[in-house]
Amino acid sequence: MLPKEIKDRLEAEIRHVEHPRELAVDVMFAVQEHYGYLSDAALAEAAALLGMTPLELDELATFYTFTFREPVGKYVIHVCDSVVCWMNGYASVRDYLCRRLSIGMGETTADGLFTLLPVCCIGYCDRSPAMLVNRRVHGELTPEKIDGILAKLRREAESGAERPKVQGVDAITG
Amino acid sequence: MPKLTIDDREIEVAGGTKVIEAAARLGIMIPRFCYHPALGSVGACRVCAVKVLEGPVKGVQMSCMLDAADGMQVSTTDREAVEFRRYVIEWLMMNHPHDCPVCDEGGHCLLQDMTVSGGHGIRRFPGKKRTYPDQDLGPLVQHEMNRCIHCYRCTRFYQQFCGYRDLGALSIGNRTYFGRVASGRLESPFSGNLSDICPTGVFTDKPSRYFGRRWDYQRTPTICINCSLGCHAVTSVRYRQVARQEARMSAAVNGWFLCDRGRYGFFYASLPGRPRQAAVKGETTTMDEAIAHARSRLETLPPDAIAVNGSARSSLEVLAMTERAARLKGWRGPAFFADAGAAHNVKTAIARLEEGLAVSLGEIGQADFILVVGADPINEAPMLALALRQAVQKGAGILVLDPRPVCLPFGFMHVPTAPEALGAVLGRLVKKSIGPAGLDGPAARFYASLPDEPATGQEVLARAAGLLAASRRPVIVCGTGIVASALVGLAADAALLLTAAQKKAGLFYILPEANSFASGLLAPPESTTDRILKAVVDGDVKALVFVENDPFATSPDRELLERALAKVELLVVLDYLDTPVSRRAHVFLPTQTLYESGGIFINQEGRAQYSAAAFAGGAPILETGGSDHPPRVYGTGLPGADPQPAGQIMAQLAGEPMASEIGARPEYFGGSTVSELAELPDVEAFPEEGQRLSPKNLPADRFKSVLPPSSAAESDELEIILTERTFGSEDLSSYSACLETREDEPLAGLHRRDAESLGIREGDGIAIRTGNTTLEFAVRVYDNMASGVMVVPRLQRLPWQGLGKRVRRQDIRKA
Repeated sequence: MLPKEIKDRLEAEIRHVEHPRELAVDVMFAVQEHYGYLSDAALAEAAALLGMTPLELDELATFYTFTFREPVGKYVIHVCDSVVCWMNGYASVRDYLCRRLSIGMGETTADGLFTLLPVCCIGYCDRSPAMLVNRRVHGELTPEKIDGILAKLRREAESGAERPKVQGVDAITG
Repeated sequence: MPKLTIDDREIEVAGGTKVIEAAARLGIMIPRFCYHPALGSVGACRVCAVKVLEGPVKGVQMSCMLDAADGMQVSTTDREAVEFRRYVIEWLMMNHPHDCPVCDEGGHCLLQDMTVSGGHGIRRFPGKKRTYPDQDLGPLVQHEMNRCIHCYRCTRFYQQFCGYRDLGALSIGNRTYFGRVASGRLESPFSGNLSDICPTGVFTDKPSRYFGRRWDYQRTPTICINCSLGCHAVTSVRYRQVARQEARMSAAVNGWFLCDRGRYGFFYASLPGRPRQAAVKGETTTMDEAIAHARSRLETLPPDAIAVNGSARSSLEVLAMTERAARLKGWRGPAFFADAGAAHNVKTAIARLEEGLAVSLGEIGQADFILVVGADPINEAPMLALALRQAVQKGAGILVLDPRPVCLPFGFMHVPTAPEALGAVLGRLVKKSIGPAGLDGPAARFYASLPDEPATGQEVLARAAGLLAASRRPVIVCGTGIVASALVGLAADAALLLTAAQKKAGLFYILPEANSFASGLLAPPESTTDRILKAVVDGDVKALVFVENDPFATSPDRELLERALAKVELLVVLDYLDTPVSRRAHVFLPTQTLYESGGIFINQEGRAQYSAAAFAGGAPILETGGSDHPPRVYGTGLPGADPQPAGQIMAQLAGEPMASEIGARPEYFGGSTVSELAELPDVEAFPEEGQRLSPKNLPADRFKSVLPPSSAAESDELEIILTERTFGSEDLSSYSACLETREDEPLAGLHRRDAESLGIREGDGIAIRTGNTTLEFAVRVYDNMASGVMVVPRLQRLPWQGLGKRVRRQDIRKA
């Protein structure tokens, strides 16, 4: 069950729009933010708030890249899988990440830290190849740069830092 | 009217016609997957490509998206278009599992046809195929997602056309998945159509899985008899077993689809327990001997001591022959209705369906405002709900006046109204929506007799009156199940009044059963089953003949029935069902189902339709062979083929006066007292869409409806409304095992106010004491139903017969 304050806030937001469906994605993000992913129960809860059936919301949840219907790691890495990145070394970036993390695409590391997913074009073509880590964008990727990012994230996780918010692209770092 | 040329052949079509349809009219079947006449065009699958040689946009175009234009020249055979289609097919086949040998769609698969006609044969793609897990979608539809080509027909049909919300398109791109959030029974009562519209084998008919290829089946155009709408179906028979039913396109009636009750309502015909042998006092014997025995017993009795009961699930042939036999012999009856109320409602509806007012189910979709009175479409006539939804999609408003918590797959206005107040609300609404100007004579007098708006006008009614006032083609849909016959007449007068107010108004009744119309035409006015049963109890009637009538399912008074059956000296039952009364018969005579005899059914708008015999009868080979090899018994006849058409048996029971009609095709209607039937064509020449019967003269009671006084006083009683459910109420479909899981829980519905005053909460069990019996139900509490009533589902497995019409509040207590 969602905590009362989140539920109240979402219900208030839904009351303010003409068609609750408009807020489907926002509500899914809020519920996902709370649970970590959209379990069947979470999906049903979100659907009930929106007056949609679980199926109708699931049609959206499974369509979009940033809504997760299965548990994901603490850090979700979206590797850009689109034309310009293909030209500039997407395959090596993907293979390097898989090797370093010892997982395939779509998998999560055993320690629960990293999930690797493809994403189709994040609009960072001028600095391709690129990837997102919890929606924070990283471009002009090289093996060294990837190692640096992964090491930093591991340190952050060990120090017990708060789970970074996944509320949209908030900053761009090079 | 644009005139265009397709493959060098000219055709003129109505404006707005798509090229794919124009070609179809020339007999050119342009390949298609996503396009379906009922679902329209989306241009998604790209397989209907043609080349436009002359026209607004030249080059390769999707013919389903292209409006036919004057002077357009289209080629379906142009090399570029052919090549385009071949590539499309090739990549649609990339992930297809090629499992045609084990796929039930094989043989009538659009994907097979398109692959062959598209010229794709040799696979070039060496990569892995995408695969999916399948879901268990319940007992009716089999799911096999790997075969999917992503045409979206299923979700467009399920969500947009039908308005159900538990099956759709999940995921994205190459992984797009058509199914539910999780395995589970499909909620839509139209789910079986998925098997028809899926162009490949993703959704196939589950009950008939692996039973045969299309070419193995004897396929016959038939009429569905699981409600009064008379939808068109195709019945497939193999090994003497009715195995599958599909929808058959009918512009006038059901369009392209069929509800699940109709599609799967046929299992009674091939049920292992179906009685196929005549029996005298429980001992099986030949038909001839049993008939002779029954006739000799009947002949010892005065004609007046013999009473005949039929039912509206019989064909017109059976009903007419039954009526004729009773009339010629002077027997009582035949009674085709349980009681006077039911008979009167149907007879009123028949009398009031005058030419020009009656609309077909197909025409409902064209209405711009629909007033539904005393009817629950999804439960009483499911396909009507689908037709109403099509009108809503085109912008029509719908107002439902009904005491029950009516649920429909679209947005509508509902004013929960107690049964006795329905007439007043209807009259008020119609009066408010039109002015007195332009009315004269009876119309003006009727207008003046209608009640004026009350001081406390309901907002919804005001809004509905506004929509009705603005409408040009309004339709009044009126049920005949739970209402008084005065309302049936009032609905007709209201429609007439709207016509007098310069609207093209329509009238549409729902009747209780498949052949209620014919029963109403033929039933003598005073004959009803309850009167006959009373006469048995009084000692006036000594012999009862039941013709395809199970009084245990239809008679509302179980106690009277039991007393009558205990007292009757001779009980003759003619039926194709194994019913409580057929088991108690002194003489049992097995009859043929519609699938064996064929027959005419008249639907609720008076459309007489002929359903052809689908096979010659006999017990299924699965049964005679003990589900193994057919038995090696040598003989000429078919095993289990004793049953005869009930009409023929009646002629034999009647003996002498009808002797000439035995065996030969009888002149069923020649001697009929009903003149409408005389105009029916020979069954061999029956029109595809049937023939509409309408009263010879204008009804005498036009504009004569008088509103019943409505008593709004709080009563210490609750009125019991026995209501039909989509599944589990109708007689024949309740024999289908695959529909059992679709039945509702037997819940009694109460308005919140009544529940609170009784101290009952949602989910509580209640016990109702009536007479000597106590019945128990769980309660569902509603806000959207009338107060002062209790809604009880009339399910076959529920002993609703003990309930009566009213229950005192003090007789309801928590269980």
